[in-house]
Amino acid sequence: MAKKIVFLALFSCCLTACETVQPWERGRLAKPEMQFNADGSDDQLYSQVYDSKEASSGGNGTAGAGCGCN
Amino acid sequence: MELSRHAFTAMGCPCEVRLFCDDTKLAEEAAARCVAEARRFEAKYSRYLPGSITTQINSSAGRSPVTIDPETASILDYSGVCFEQSHGLFDITSGVLRTIWHPTMQTLPTNEALDQCLSLVGWNKIQRSADSIFLPSAGMEVDFGGVVKEYAADALAEIAKSLGIRSGLINLGGDIRIIGPQPCGSAWSIGITHPTEKDSAFAVIEVEEGAITTSGSYERYFEIGENKYSHLINPITGWPVSGLLSVSIFAPLAIVAGSIASIALLNTKEAGLEFLNECHLPYLAIDQNMDSYGNLAK
Amino acid sequence: MRRTNPLLALTSAAMALPAFSATQPVESLISIRATVYEEEDAPAHQILVGADDRYDIDIGQFRLLTPIGSDWSVDLSVTHEAMSGASPWYNIQGANQQTSLIMSGATIRDARTEVSLTTTRYQDDSSISIGLTRSDEDDYEAKAISVSGEWDFNNKLSTLSIGLSYSTDDIRPTDAPNFGRVLKEDKSSHSFSVGWGQILNKHSSLHVGLDITSHDGFLSDPYKLRDTRPDDRLEWALGLKYRRYFDNQNAALHLDYRYYHDDWGINSHTLYSAWYQSLGSDFKLVPNLRYYSQTKADFYSVTNNFALPLTTNQSSDFRLAGYGAYTFGLKAIYDIDTWRVSLSVDRYISSEDYGHSGSKGEHPAAVKFLLTSIGLDFRF
Repeated sequence: MAKKIVFLALFSCCLTACETVQPWERGRLAKPEMQFNADGSDDQLYSQVYDSKEASSGGNGTAGAGCGCN
Repeated sequence: MELSRHAFTAMGCPCEVRLFCDDTKLAEEAAARCVAEARRFEAKYSRYLPGSITTQINSSAGRSPVTIDPETASILDYSGVCFEQSHGLFDITSGVLRTIWHPTMQTLPTNEALDQCLSLVGWNKIQRSADSIFLPSAGMEVDFGGVVKEYAADALAEIAKSLGIRSGLINLGGDIRIIGPQPCGSAWSIGITHPTEKDSAFAVIEVEEGAITTSGSYERYFEIGENKYSHLINPITGWPVSGLLSVSIFAPLAIVAGSIASIALLNTKEAGLEFLNECHLPYLAIDQNMDSYGNLAK
Repeated sequence: MRRTNPLLALTSAAMALPAFSATQPVESLISIRATVYEEEDAPAHQILVGADDRYDIDIGQFRLLTPIGSDWSVDLSVTHEAMSGASPWYNIQGANQQTSLIMSGATIRDARTEVSLTTTRYQDDSSISIGLTRSDEDDYEAKAISVSGEWDFNNKLSTLSIGLSYSTDDIRPTDAPNFGRVLKEDKSSHSFSVGWGQILNKHSSLHVGLDITSHDGFLSDPYKLRDTRPDDRLEWALGLKYRRYFDNQNAALHLDYRYYHDDWGINSHTLYSAWYQSLGSDFKLVPNLRYYSQTKADFYSVTNNFALPLTTNQSSDFRLAGYGAYTFGLKAIYDIDTWRVSLSVDRYISSEDYGHSGSKGEHPAAVKFLLTSIGLDFRF
C-alpha cells in the first residue's frame, strides 16, 4: 500500500513538471532508443519468455492476445 | 557520403534539393519526389495557371462557391491566423491592389480608384465552410504566393525525411528548410543575400536544422516622380508600405519563418522590429539606410 | 496591448497542415529474429527419477509492417518455436529433508506456430487497430482477437491508449490416457488495458499502463501430477516506463517498473533498466539489468501432497513459488544504410533466496536460462 502511494506521488510530480515541447524540439524523443516499445519483435519475444516462466504478465498498457501456456 | 544537388525551376524561382546520402538510388528517388511535389504545389496554387485552385476560386468570385480539399482548407486556416497575428496587414485578398499600384504607372492613383479597389480587399469578406470558399464580389481574388512557397519547402523536407534522408536541405528561391545537418553533425553555411548587391552575402549563418527565409522589397520597388514606392501594399490603407527593406528569419519551420518575415515587412519600421522582437526568434532586419538589426548573424 | 507570442500561434496553425501530421508509418519494415533459449539443467543430485535435460527452445520470428495507402497499415508476425527437453512432473520429499524432482519420462519434442495480423487505421490525432492471433502446437490451440485505439492530445504531448482483447484456448495434452491426464479442456481470457504516454520535456517521457485480465476455465498444468489450480484467476498489472536522453553521453536510459497482483495470492515487482549507448552514428551497445520478485500462490507447496483430495488446489510448480530472479543482458545494434543487425545475450538466474517473500531456497527446479538472439531489420 505504501508503495502505491509513493508511485502515485511520483507520477503526479512528473505531470506537474511537464513543459510544452514544441514539435521541432522533439528530435531526441523521436529516436528509436527513446520509444516506449523499443522493438516489436523483441518485445514479443521477451514477453513470451517471461510470461511463460514467471507467474506475472502484462503491465504494458496494451491488451495482448493469448500466449498459449498454462 | 556523397552530396547530390538537383537544381530545378518551380513557382517562378530557382530551386535546389541538396542531399547527403550513401545510397545514390535513394538520393535520386528522394530528389525526384521533392521536385514532383514542388511542381504539384505550383500546378495547384499558382494564380497564373488556368487549372489551379486559385484560378478556379478567383474566376468564380461574385458567382458561386468553389469546393476545396483539406490541404487548401488548412492553408486558408493558416492564412487566417496570419491575418489575425498581423492585425490585418497580412491579407491574401490584397493582391488586387496590384492593379492600381504597378511599376509602369506615372501618377498616383486617384482616391476613387483606391476606394473602389479597397472594396474588393478584405479577408473578413471571404465566406468559408470546411470544404468551400466563396469570394462575394466579382474582381476579388486570393493569392497563396505568400504562404505556399515556404510551406512547400517544409513539405519537401518532410518527404525527404520520410524516405530516410537524414542530411540535406531544400532551397526554394532563397527560402531554405534544412532536412538535417551535414554528415558528422556539422552545420550548413547559409548566406543571406545583400539587399542591394545581389551577388554578395550580407551575412553567413551556420545552422544545423530549421529554416531561414528572407523577404525583401529591395528588388521590387518603383518610382513615381521622385519617390520610391514598395511593391508591398498595406491592405487597410491601400498605400504602399514604408518600413524595413529586408527581413531574414530563422524558425523551425519555413512556413512560419516566411509569415513572420512578411508580417514584419508590412509594418512600419518600428512596428516591424517590435513584432520581430515579440517572436523571440533570431532575425536580421535591414532598413532603408542599410542599418541592420537583430541577432541572426551572431 | 501585449498579445501572445505570434510564433506560438503561427506554429500551432502550421501543425494542422497535412505535411506535418503523418503518424502513419511511411516506410515498410521486415524483421527476422533467430533465438536460442537454453535452460540450465537442474542439479543432478536433486533429480530422483528421469532425464536431466532441461528445456531448449529454438525460436524463429518474422515480421512485416507496411503502410497501405495513406491511412492504413498492416502488421503481420509469424513465430515458430521448436521445444525439446524434459520438464518436472512432480516433487517429493527426498532423503535428508531435501526436495527432489521427478522428471517426466520421455524427452518432449514439440513445435508451436503463431500467426498474428493487425490492421490499423490512422486519422489526424488518433488510430484504431484490430488484431487476430492464432497459435498452434500439438496439444494446444489458442485464438485471440484484440481491439485498441490511441488518441493524441496537447499537440501530441500526451497519448491515451485503450485496448480490449479476448482469447480462447483448447488444451489436449499428449499421451493423456497413459499418464492419467485430462483429455480435453479449454480456457478463456478477457483483458482490458489503458495506457497514458506523456512527454515531460525535450529529453524525457513517461508511460503508465494498467492491464486487467480475467481467466476462466482449465488453468492447471496438465503435465504435472497433482496440479490442481482454481478455475478462475483475476490479475492486474500496473506498469511505469521512463525514458530519458542524455546529450553529453549520447545515450538513452530506460527505467521500467511493474507491479502485478492476482487473486491466487501472487504479487510481484519487476524492475528493468537499460542503457542505450551510442558509439559513433551507427552502433549502439545496450547493457541491461532486470530484477524480478514474486510471492507464492496460496495453494503452492514445494512438494506435492498426494493425501489431499483431488479437488483441493495445490501445485509445486516453481512458477508459482516465492522467488526472485536477475537477468543480465547485453545487446549490440549495428545500422548499415537501411539494414539493422542486432545481437543480444541474456542470462537469467532465479532463486527463492533472491525474492522479497522471504522464502528460502528449497525448490530444485528454479529456472536458470541463457537466451541468445540475432536479428535483422530491413526498411524499404
